[in-house]
Amino acid sequence: MDVKYKVNRLQTTNEIRPLVDKHWADLRTAKERGELVAWASGPTFIFAYAMGMKCHFMAGYSAYCGGIGAGEEVLKVAEMAGDLPETCSYHRLHMGMGEAVARGIPINPQAILPMPDLMVAGRLCPEMSHYAEGLHRRFGVRVLPIDLPAVANIEDMPRVREFVYRQFKEVVIPTIEEVCGKPFDYDRMSEILSVLKKVATLRNQCWEFFKDKPSRWTLWDYGVSIAPVFYLMGNPAGITYYEKLLKELQERREKGIPAIAPDGEKYRLYWDGWLPWAFLGKFMRKFTPHGAVVLCGRYPWEFFPHPELIDPEHPVESWADLYYGMESHLVYTFSPKGTIDLIGKLIDDYSLDGLIMFSSKTCRVMNLAQPEVIDVLDKKYGIPGVIIEGDMIDSAMISDAQIETRLQALYEMIDSRRR
Amino acid sequence: MERVLSKITEVTSDPYAYVTGLKERTGKKVIGCFPMYVPEEIVHAADLIPVVIWRGNESVTWGHAHVPPYDCGITRSFVDDAVRGKLNFMDGMVFHVRQCLQVGEFPLIIERNVKPAYQKVLYLPPIYEGEAVRSFLLDDLESFKTSLEDFTGKKISDDSLKKSIEIYNENRSLLERVYEIRREKPGILRAREVMQTVWSSMLMLKEDHNELLKELIKDMEGKTVESKGERVKVIPVGCLCQTLQFDILDMIEDLGMIITDDDLYVGSRYFANKANLNGSPIEALADRYLTKTPLCPTKGVWDIHWGDEAIKKMRDNNAKGIISIRVKYCPPHTCYYPDFKSKMVEEGVPEVMIEMEHEIMSLEGIKTRLQSFAETIGGV
Repeated sequence: MDVKYKVNRLQTTNEIRPLVDKHWADLRTAKERGELVAWASGPTFIFAYAMGMKCHFMAGYSAYCGGIGAGEEVLKVAEMAGDLPETCSYHRLHMGMGEAVARGIPINPQAILPMPDLMVAGRLCPEMSHYAEGLHRRFGVRVLPIDLPAVANIEDMPRVREFVYRQFKEVVIPTIEEVCGKPFDYDRMSEILSVLKKVATLRNQCWEFFKDKPSRWTLWDYGVSIAPVFYLMGNPAGITYYEKLLKELQERREKGIPAIAPDGEKYRLYWDGWLPWAFLGKFMRKFTPHGAVVLCGRYPWEFFPHPELIDPEHPVESWADLYYGMESHLVYTFSPKGTIDLIGKLIDDYSLDGLIMFSSKTCRVMNLAQPEVIDVLDKKYGIPGVIIEGDMIDSAMISDAQIETRLQALYEMIDSRRR
Repeated sequence: MERVLSKITEVTSDPYAYVTGLKERTGKKVIGCFPMYVPEEIVHAADLIPVVIWRGNESVTWGHAHVPPYDCGITRSFVDDAVRGKLNFMDGMVFHVRQCLQVGEFPLIIERNVKPAYQKVLYLPPIYEGEAVRSFLLDDLESFKTSLEDFTGKKISDDSLKKSIEIYNENRSLLERVYEIRREKPGILRAREVMQTVWSSMLMLKEDHNELLKELIKDMEGKTVESKGERVKVIPVGCLCQTLQFDILDMIEDLGMIITDDDLYVGSRYFANKANLNGSPIEALADRYLTKTPLCPTKGVWDIHWGDEAIKKMRDNNAKGIISIRVKYCPPHTCYYPDFKSKMVEEGVPEVMIEMEHEIMSLEGIKTRLQSFAETIGGV
């Protein structure tokens, strides 16, 4: 008889929405309170936070927009303004929101942000520069750009780290000081990192529950819990959130409650690339009936997997090291080769059965060389993988039938290798 | 002129055979430089043959297993050529991985499937404010030079690098002269012949190409061109990294328009700006890279507008319109294009955009667009 799988929803994750709503609401109303507003891409928002600026984060805003269901209408405005559908959907969301404000086109009020006093544009991917350039050209936004290269060969990491550190010290901090009219607050940056260290440590303890068989939670649960380790950085509410989450997961372990009922997962999967923010529910409904649970992923594992290396006493140096340290760099900053090492480790640590490589049609930052990555890992670990194509926000890029066919093929490959 | 053009056609109609032959003839190793900003002069000074990697001449087959269909034409075509062994005559390859995300795919794919004897990644930063950018760029160029020295086992002296820069600068001057004559005598060369002339510079030894250009210039200077009536001048803009299908250039001219100048990569962008020979040659190459014009959307320049640049070029040529050629799935151009278009509308400049793909392309659809554009600007 077929098993009827059903998600066991966590209670704690219900508490994330008010936290992120408050973050974006505070940002929306910042100018009314006479506060300075920054926008940021890449890991640059911490400098604005340290100075007490309210700050947006490019991917965070896009995820929020997708999550509240505002993506489609904002993308339509962008298209009306001339942006082409093959452009990065995060780029289009920002253009669309800016155009909606400038032209008075009604969109979901929660998707509207004030134009910034400064945009700190970290160029992790070239598109992050393109969108900042576009916002400058269209709306006259003041931009502070810095380059944050992804490193192709690990031996290049030290010189790239030095380049990035110099930009933080010589460009970012002096410009923010000028905009804010006061010296940079290194103490506040240290405090933010102290909170981050606590949050990321708790988060790592929660990660341990992915190792349980059956797993106690899913990557989607962690996906919606990401904000405290990133753009809610420095907010002590993040500590409370992860303490509660940890407690709930411990209770689940004690009571034997799995992430999906009745008895847990049949397939333990890895997810590569962005999370499909606007379609989390849609994808969950493609996994759960098959007993599949996505447990780990590259993007969610980017966020400070080594909290023990966070050094609040040396905030700027530590921040550079968290992205470009030989031991502590992001996976993305050593991509695509670093991806292979990370996934290999995840396969071992979390007993994974298969890989789903989510290939965004409009954002290639996580897509790099995915067929090669699958090939390397299949040969080394005997783990099959499939590529599914889609987008984080734009439903026009999602083909349900294609995705279902490929997922079905993945389940069958796993079954056949088990025989 | 026929002799020179015939040679240029021979080089560009089968670049694989030409470069293979060049390698055999000279006994030198070939280094493929992925467009657009690898400083070929350093490869040349290492006594190697730098060639700019090109979009191939066949449909993508095996390449589909390595890159998604929503990567641009030259990305898919290059990977296809590489994994099929069509580029095995290249002893090394160099990629500027920060130019766009798609180039970031190459190092792993090439390392696993092609394994050239030499492979180098460059990070050449965008032109942002701050001394750190220039320092990092210089460091990157030094690292490139050192890696080539390690590959060949020979030091690259400042003098040999300066000599190479001199040869490259001469090539730039000669190509500029070809363009100058074309502006003076519209129609003296067909647009496809001009593109082939620039492309051949990317494939030939620069010393040989310089000789060819001198002969071409002499022929062009001596030739008179009969006016073919009032043909309306247009400026093609864009087509980053790759050659445009020659059929499209022919179509533009056959529809009664004439190209007297361009803002294309396999065109005026390739030879724009000379490297200054006073002082350190590496610094000269860095300064050339850090030059903001012609504006390139891959370089993070936003204090000047690409649209203004294109309009100036159009007006300098007394042209009547701009034809944007956007390579499908080219994010730098695609992200910029809406603002480029807005500038055209704002300034009342007639402009049309055509998309180009490596393979599937409806020439009939493009013809309709170009025909109506020609009629709009009074070309027919």
